[in-house]
Amino acid sequence: MNLLQDIAFQLARALMQAFAIMVIVFLLVRVTPGDVVDVLAIEGDLTAEQQEVMREELGLDRPLVTEFFNWVRQAATGDLGQSLRYGRPVADMVGNALPTTLTLAASSFIIGLVLAFSTALTATMTQGRFTTSLVNLLNIWSIAFPTFCVGVAAILVFSIWLGWLPVLGAMIAPVVIIGIDNAGQIAKPLFEELREAANSAHVRTARAKGLHPVRIAIAYLLPTAIPIALALSGLILAGLVAGTLTMEVLFGLSGIGSLTLQAIHGRDYPVVQGAVVVIALGIVAINTVMDILHRLIDPRLAR
Amino acid sequence: MSLPVHPDTAPAHARLPFPSGASVGAVLVTAILVIALIAPWVVPYDPLYQNLLAINTPPGPEYWLGVDHLGRDVLSRLIMGSRTTLAISVGGVTLAFFIGGCLALLGLALGRVSERLVFGGIDLARAMPDILLALLLIVALGSGAVPVAIALGVSFSPFFAYVARTAYKREMAQDYVRAARLFGGGRLHVLLRHVLPNIAGGLVTQAAIILPRCIVTESVLSFLGLGSSPDAPTWGRMISDASRFIEQAPHAILAPMLTLVLLTVSLLLVGDYSRARLDPLRGARNRQGVMP
Repeated sequence: MNLLQDIAFQLARALMQAFAIMVIVFLLVRVTPGDVVDVLAIEGDLTAEQQEVMREELGLDRPLVTEFFNWVRQAATGDLGQSLRYGRPVADMVGNALPTTLTLAASSFIIGLVLAFSTALTATMTQGRFTTSLVNLLNIWSIAFPTFCVGVAAILVFSIWLGWLPVLGAMIAPVVIIGIDNAGQIAKPLFEELREAANSAHVRTARAKGLHPVRIAIAYLLPTAIPIALALSGLILAGLVAGTLTMEVLFGLSGIGSLTLQAIHGRDYPVVQGAVVVIALGIVAINTVMDILHRLIDPRLAR
Repeated sequence: MSLPVHPDTAPAHARLPFPSGASVGAVLVTAILVIALIAPWVVPYDPLYQNLLAINTPPGPEYWLGVDHLGRDVLSRLIMGSRTTLAISVGGVTLAFFIGGCLALLGLALGRVSERLVFGGIDLARAMPDILLALLLIVALGSGAVPVAIALGVSFSPFFAYVARTAYKREMAQDYVRAARLFGGGRLHVLLRHVLPNIAGGLVTQAAIILPRCIVTESVLSFLGLGSSPDAPTWGRMISDASRFIEQAPHAILAPMLTLVLLTVSLLLVGDYSRARLDPLRGARNRQGVMP
């Protein structure tokens, strides 16, 4: 019963967050000084009259509240409006860009997770100076070297000086770069948690009765690390969003990040709104699932 | 009258050695700050002047860090850029400090309902990655130095709000706060007169930790073309501009990048040290013997 209540609470909170995010995105995008008609007017010499007609056609003259509820109602049916510049449905544009971003994010997430878990686990088991400093190195790396700098350096070294990779369109470099960045963000907290678990009574008992260290790592340590990994998911996601955004722009991948930036520069509101809302709602959804999983796995979180 | 912060932690602080990393960091940060302050008087060339005969010249005696694809001196742009980058980032952190700190403390001091409201909003801001929030705010406010600083201030304010809440809750449980309340001090009076001086240290430390992140985010925004105007060079914009001519002029991209990394690492080292020295949370944990 308590569990169900908690899950219901999480879902309700997610819904409220989703609604608030839609309001914020809508308002922030709409209060922008200058609209798409202004941009087109500069590019294509429109008369004042033509501009008025265009604003009316595009619905830019209607009150904000009406516009907002129209937008939410349509968004609920999967219709995110049309691009003001290209006339294509926003949902299609976002849908076309999504696979690239998701592939990029998912592969870097897996690389990051494997790297973080393996270094943190080896460091815990060996308690060695080298393995511990590897965890610290990952941590410092992710803070000190922002992904876009690493990306530029990678292009310079691998593509231009060594001539290994094509500069644009390649997925390998961005995936590895974001993966390492991600690993750096979670390796240290993970290691601290694991070290604490390794000193706890049940692990000491297991060691005392002569259980194989690998068995201890898999059966005793790994399970204690899963809740903390779930709790860190917010951090991981933020890193993934920032990472994919800059990497897409830098490596010329046509994902949702490039789409958003192009739309911002072209003041194409429906596309900005659609893309940002899809990212933000995706994050709320993933966070909620992680919170619920965390609650299911770790009964200590019961309120 | 304001009471001393945990007097019994002082000996532990005194024992903390001043690490060499932090002192190197402090020297570098000071050097970059001084150069940024006196920038207009030390730049060798006009950062906007285009010497079309020297396009993409590699570093040499005449141009120490070389010339970029438009014939502009990289060193001059780097020095002037430090000014813009630092001004925007420090402005952003200061804003975040006041927005986060004030909102959290007011919300906490005014009772349970206001606490729920304030932190509901802050949790919501945290639900979005800070780069996305900053991006949206820049869309709303238009690009330029002030909008970017505001965007950074808003996106980083939750970090200060959470620190303020933790510190506030801890202080409220202390005897001196209870004594002040028993003597008839109102919520706001106790907050401003007694609690604030004791949690200010934690907030300042947080500012030292957030500053490098703020500088990186500012650079990312400039890199994405959303930073301040093209006339004011920033490191992020220099990297973004030069990235299209990376083959012809790698020096134009390496210079701002290495400076950025150097500054963030230095700030991190200083921030880590100041946290170890000033953070009352760490002191509290030390006393309970949880942390070594």
